[in-house]
Amino acid sequence: MNNKVIIIGAGPAGLSAAITLAEKNIAVLVIDEYLYAGGRLLGQLYEEKPGTWWNGIVESERLLERAKSLEVEFLLQTSVSDLEKVDQTWLIHTTKGIFRTRHLLLATGAAESPFPIPGWTLPGVMSVGAAQVMTNVHRVKPGKRGVIIGVNVLSSAIAMELQLAGVQVAAITLPHANLLTKGNSNPLEVMNSLLHVAHMAPSPLVKIGSKLMKNDFMKKLGINFYPKNGVKMWDIPIMLRKAVVEIVGKDEVEGVILATINTDGSIVKGSEKRIKADFVCIAGGLYPLAELASLAGCPFHYIEQLGGFIPLHNEQMETNLEGLYVAGNITGIEGAKVALAQGKVAALTISQRLNAGASQHDIKLAIQDVEKTRATAHIQFHPDILAGRQQMKQIWAESVVPLATH
Amino acid sequence: MQNKSMIVCRCEEVSYDELVESASKYKCSARELKLRTRAGMGYCGGRTCRTMVDNIAHLHHPRTSDEITLKHQAPIRPVRFANLGEVKS
Repeated sequence: MNNKVIIIGAGPAGLSAAITLAEKNIAVLVIDEYLYAGGRLLGQLYEEKPGTWWNGIVESERLLERAKSLEVEFLLQTSVSDLEKVDQTWLIHTTKGIFRTRHLLLATGAAESPFPIPGWTLPGVMSVGAAQVMTNVHRVKPGKRGVIIGVNVLSSAIAMELQLAGVQVAAITLPHANLLTKGNSNPLEVMNSLLHVAHMAPSPLVKIGSKLMKNDFMKKLGINFYPKNGVKMWDIPIMLRKAVVEIVGKDEVEGVILATINTDGSIVKGSEKRIKADFVCIAGGLYPLAELASLAGCPFHYIEQLGGFIPLHNEQMETNLEGLYVAGNITGIEGAKVALAQGKVAALTISQRLNAGASQHDIKLAIQDVEKTRATAHIQFHPDILAGRQQMKQIWAESVVPLATH
Repeated sequence: MQNKSMIVCRCEEVSYDELVESASKYKCSARELKLRTRAGMGYCGGRTCRTMVDNIAHLHHPRTSDEITLKHQAPIRPVRFANLGEVKS
């Protein structure tokens, strides 16, 4: 039972790794705590270019069918609670017992980082990803009328999905500034971060506008004259000059207090207004979910462009621990297509270790494919993602003595 | 309002103000901030507040690439006692 490769996480990285390994006739077991395979792919639905939609559910079904046809084994609704190494073997403690392997791939993806707002512990406040899963996966409306706090790629994409499902989004707006909303609460900073994803905006006007605004003066002008009631995207007002000061309600969310803010994020006194909502989403962005790498003993490095603490790894997706590999968002926050490409790299590296017919050349090509996918990605979560990747590469080069040369 | 009552760590009921005050007073690491306030030490193991506790600590404590980060401790997901070692009577 030791010769099976185990993958934790059935998202795009895990599924693509499983398929690549199985194609080389390597036995694979994929463990995931969710009840469906697909990971965050399941929530995704957006228009890549006019008329072409990326439907995550269809993509994950396609991957799952391919994996199953290659006899990849799946263990869903199974949580991993601990990981330890005994001799050469990884022991994976799960709710369905202990599993053992010499080659373990962590493809655990990302989690959402929240920021606090007064009233955020009321029932009816959720992360924006939770609203997405309820709507797209479980087909349950999170409420009738919601407010999304936090303007970023993820929240605007999910707002559109909610709208498609017939859930009204009253506004996407900023949080009032506190020390934890840094980067999320300053209109100018938020505007900046939106500019590099402006090509996703549906209205040609916004697209043209964003080209004009790629210079500082225009940006300031833009934010000064930014309509107080927001610009509408898919009929949803995006309010960069308003902030939620408080979420209100007696026993559950009943609304939010919205105030007009100056370009520096400070509140215009007396502008507070109460608007109705029966649910509120907090959109604070994503960070790599790397608990298991931490339990295993991987060293971590904080790299802002990659979304937070990243386990040390190389381009071949190896950690510095023998037999432990990583792929997907655990290595840095990027889109599903990059995760798919990384999963393939990890699988080829494992195949090479197992002498199962993957050459250094194959791995090199797969790494090039990751880079190409990154360069042409539809969504970039951080504009300086490349600098972050470069930093990790350098840390690896400086800190790790190649395993192969001893 | 209300930052006094704005909870950051729900398990241990640690408020935003308490964290910010401790961080500015001791200019300590994220780990020390956790130990001083108990934020992140409740039964969820810091799954909700971890990044916030880390960010508050680093308002006053510069990040270095080799510092010890907030630790993860098994079990990282809830487990039944029976799964840990059931005693059959």
